[in-house]
Amino acid sequence: MSEQKAKKRFAPIQSESKHRMEEQKRESIPTIFLVMSTCGLASGAAETKQAFEEALSEKSIAARIVPVGCIGHCYAEPLVIIDHPTAGFPPICYYQINADRARILVRSYLEGGDPVLKYVLGAMEENDLIPAVMDFPRFSLEQRLVMEHCGLIDPDDIHQYIARGGYSGLVKALDSDPEEVINLIEESGLRGRGGAGFPSGRKWRIARTAEGDGKFVICNGDEGDPGAYMDRTILESNPHQLLEGLAICAHAVGANQSIVYVRAEYPLAVKAIQKAIKSAKELSLLGPSILGTSFSLEVSVFQGSGAFVCGEETALIQSIEGKRGMPQHRPPFPVEKGLWGRPTVVNNVKTLSAVPPIMVRGAEWFRTIGTERSPGTAIFSVVGNVKHPGLVEIAMGTSLRTLIFDVCGGIPNKKEFKAVQIGGPSGGCLPASFLDTPIDFDSLTQAGAMMGSGGMVVMDEDSCMVDVSRYFLDFTQKESCGKCTFCRMGTKHLLNILQRITKGEGRDGDLELLETLSKDIKDGSLCGLGKTAPNPVLTSLKYFREEYEAHINEKRCPALKCRALTAFYIDLEKCARGCEVCVGCCPVDAIFTTKGRKKAIDQELCVKCGECRVACPPEYDAVFKVSPPELAPVIERPPEDIKEKK
Amino acid sequence: MAFHNDGIDMTASDLDQEERAMIQEIKRSLSKFKKHRGNLIPILQSIQEKHSYLASAAMEMVASHLDISPSEVYGVATFYNQFRFHPPGRNQIKVCLGTACHVAGGDIILENFERKLGIKDGETTADREYSIERVACVGCCALAPVAVINDNVQGYMQPSKVEGIFLQFQIEREREERDKASE
Amino acid sequence: MIKLIVDEKEIETEEGRSVLQACLENGIFIPNLCFIKTRQQPHASCRLCFVEIEGFDRPVTSCTEKVREGLVVRTDTPPVRRLQRMAFKLLMSGHPCEAKVCPVKGGCQLIRTAKYLKVGLNPKPLEFLEREVEEEVDLTFFTYYPFRCVLCGKCVYVCREKNEHNLLTFAQRGFDTVIGFFGDIDPTDLPCHTCLACATICPTGALIPKPELTREAKSNP
Repeated sequence: MSEQKAKKRFAPIQSESKHRMEEQKRESIPTIFLVMSTCGLASGAAETKQAFEEALSEKSIAARIVPVGCIGHCYAEPLVIIDHPTAGFPPICYYQINADRARILVRSYLEGGDPVLKYVLGAMEENDLIPAVMDFPRFSLEQRLVMEHCGLIDPDDIHQYIARGGYSGLVKALDSDPEEVINLIEESGLRGRGGAGFPSGRKWRIARTAEGDGKFVICNGDEGDPGAYMDRTILESNPHQLLEGLAICAHAVGANQSIVYVRAEYPLAVKAIQKAIKSAKELSLLGPSILGTSFSLEVSVFQGSGAFVCGEETALIQSIEGKRGMPQHRPPFPVEKGLWGRPTVVNNVKTLSAVPPIMVRGAEWFRTIGTERSPGTAIFSVVGNVKHPGLVEIAMGTSLRTLIFDVCGGIPNKKEFKAVQIGGPSGGCLPASFLDTPIDFDSLTQAGAMMGSGGMVVMDEDSCMVDVSRYFLDFTQKESCGKCTFCRMGTKHLLNILQRITKGEGRDGDLELLETLSKDIKDGSLCGLGKTAPNPVLTSLKYFREEYEAHINEKRCPALKCRALTAFYIDLEKCARGCEVCVGCCPVDAIFTTKGRKKAIDQELCVKCGECRVACPPEYDAVFKVSPPELAPVIERPPEDIKEKK
Repeated sequence: MAFHNDGIDMTASDLDQEERAMIQEIKRSLSKFKKHRGNLIPILQSIQEKHSYLASAAMEMVASHLDISPSEVYGVATFYNQFRFHPPGRNQIKVCLGTACHVAGGDIILENFERKLGIKDGETTADREYSIERVACVGCCALAPVAVINDNVQGYMQPSKVEGIFLQFQIEREREERDKASE
Repeated sequence: MIKLIVDEKEIETEEGRSVLQACLENGIFIPNLCFIKTRQQPHASCRLCFVEIEGFDRPVTSCTEKVREGLVVRTDTPPVRRLQRMAFKLLMSGHPCEAKVCPVKGGCQLIRTAKYLKVGLNPKPLEFLEREVEEEVDLTFFTYYPFRCVLCGKCVYVCREKNEHNLLTFAQRGFDTVIGFFGDIDPTDLPCHTCLACATICPTGALIPKPELTREAKSNP
């Protein structure tokens, strides 16, 4: 290995990047950082951007608009950070900035110097004027390694990543012996972030020692778990950290070919990673003889075509080979015999993105974060009934309670916490008694859930656990590849039974059958999808059995969620004469006027969408929901009204 | 709201012509791909991106380009959610039914679209103006429930927003018609 | 040669064999539907050939386990039977049939499996699963009966082995998976005339050659 060859070649690139950053600072014109990732755009970031541009040119204000990736605070989108160096304030983070607010910010802050406190989330630096975001639990309890730069840099500009220390991990790796790199990753205790938590260092070592040339490294970004989107965010917001990790891995295991596998449903992520590969190649950070060393790496992007099962590594490889994505029996494991029969490392987006910081700061540093057996951080997409949904990166070992109540603000609308679903279709639902469970691979598995890909759905008292199980089985059943008997037929049976129960057609013996079937599917299936598919059923049966029993024995849905078991009615005592609000909002004309000129619901027509309940003015609050449906008072529709309708 | 059928009904010969043009285009673009089995899915994706669905003839052409059987292509294409075998509507409505959207009532949003258009998910209206699809997760869980209207993600959907979306389509169509008339 | 102990009896076999093959060749029956001796990577989809092997905490499929010296195998423990019976019930919940009307001479593989496992041909306590498929599907030279098919995949495999371009494929996905044929090919160009490998290997009579083809194949071997 030549002495620090890569470092010498990298030095001028790094100083160029730093120079660019300092140059921008020296210009001292305001910079508007605008989150333009998928969730930002969905909240109207494109309109916000246009409004900023128009307002700036109208007022002839010189300012730079920098599109950045997602910072993870999805509840606050469209999120904007304004750095106005001459105004006397630190950079300020603003939340929910629509087009109107963008115009106000330009007028009041950029022109007038008033930072418009009512839209401020917090300052980005400690100061005496505005509370800093770092002091809020949503920020201070987080620990960001993988998402460190997400939302703070323009993903399309490689220099911004380099200026913040990016690619120095790769440089270090290139100047080290591959064996040392693997030792480092092994010592760090990094475990695969794709779900099962296999030690990454051990995987790399097997691949390194595996016989055969033409090895591959594949980054698994086939994030199919409904409710998880951290891989998308990382790809959209900082694709370079992933590419850096990918290159370090390839160098360590001796691979010269790599593939980033991204879902085709993530068009922005696909574009971002393609762009990133191109700019890294231009700087000789990827491609042939990287930074003048003997190491070359080709990187291509493969778009997954929408099959959840392709998250399983053997199925993923089948799909790259142009076949049906059906899992294969392991062994042989891909690290021995993978893509096109070559040794192949398949690592998740988060795993590879965790590698550069370890490379730079060392294994010991990494082990100070997290727990003994699960070092490092975990990224969760916390969604559902929480005040501040979004992406959160926390140290392993943090309790569920801290994550849900302190970081994400707890349950909104004064509702009670009921359950948290962790790990998506392969995971489980945990009740309140598990809130003090530390988040790490082993504790979650022990509780019956699993780390999975990091989807976390928080549910309040209005969520029905039977319905949630039915939802997940509906998903896995649709996504089963159909190869093996247990998964193909077994998940369909589970779904059918759950469907019957939510419709009030459950019978004696159903719960026992669900249990036996679930156990057999777990033990009998070919791949991970089938082996974990019954988890949502098993955990909810364990922790919420009485809810299943209410559905079966009393035909009642305690959470008032299952539509066949609920009914809406209007309390005639509370309903206001002459008020027509609910009538207008009903999509199926199910609401009619009673003889007393009040309103009632035609149960035959009602589709139970709940719009009338939302629409009914709070001072009357006359619409009620009950279960079982027989509890709703019967009010006959006047015959002339029916005739009129016809 | 009524959906107009006038003026956009396609005759058989129109369709033939459309298909012929498509086949010509596919022939040209296939030559850009190496004859390698690993290119099967990228080829199918590029055809669908351009023509919005995979016609039988297209799959046959891909098979002969890669020197594999048409059955093989068909087997692969029918495995993945992404591929369609019928032309979709001009306006594509995708309703997300990911976990967060489900908890937030995504099924009610889907029903509203279905009721409004009189079709079920996976179907296209007779005038080929609209099609509805349910998708597993578009990764915008914090904005649930979500619908994707022609690549635009719409967060915090409500049944009343469904009305608004169609109203907008109608306004746009009327404007187009006016523009056409004034030309 | 390798020696292993199956159900307390010592058997001998060659290296590289799967436990399933070693047992079958030594007269020890283990239920199976998708196993093909010559197939390198076992399909492992029917999930009937479970056995218990010392050192594993739960039953494993014997088609995927290679023999090793001194391996201790049990083919009839309660956990093995539990999984086999459930797999069989699951298959039968998509396969409505009666032994009396079985189209396969001498009864198909499922009837033999039922006898071996001492269970009926019904899926009880599971319900029969309805599927949105035709009862009979025309696959040019064959009639395909989706409700008889157990998706063991043997037909797809032998078709690929015999013909450079396999004509049969799995189509659709999951519960909707079927065996399919696709292509605008002149039937006289198909090798099916003289092949029939798929219909011969089918364990459940789900692929039946059309009578006119059989006549031709017989007269024109």
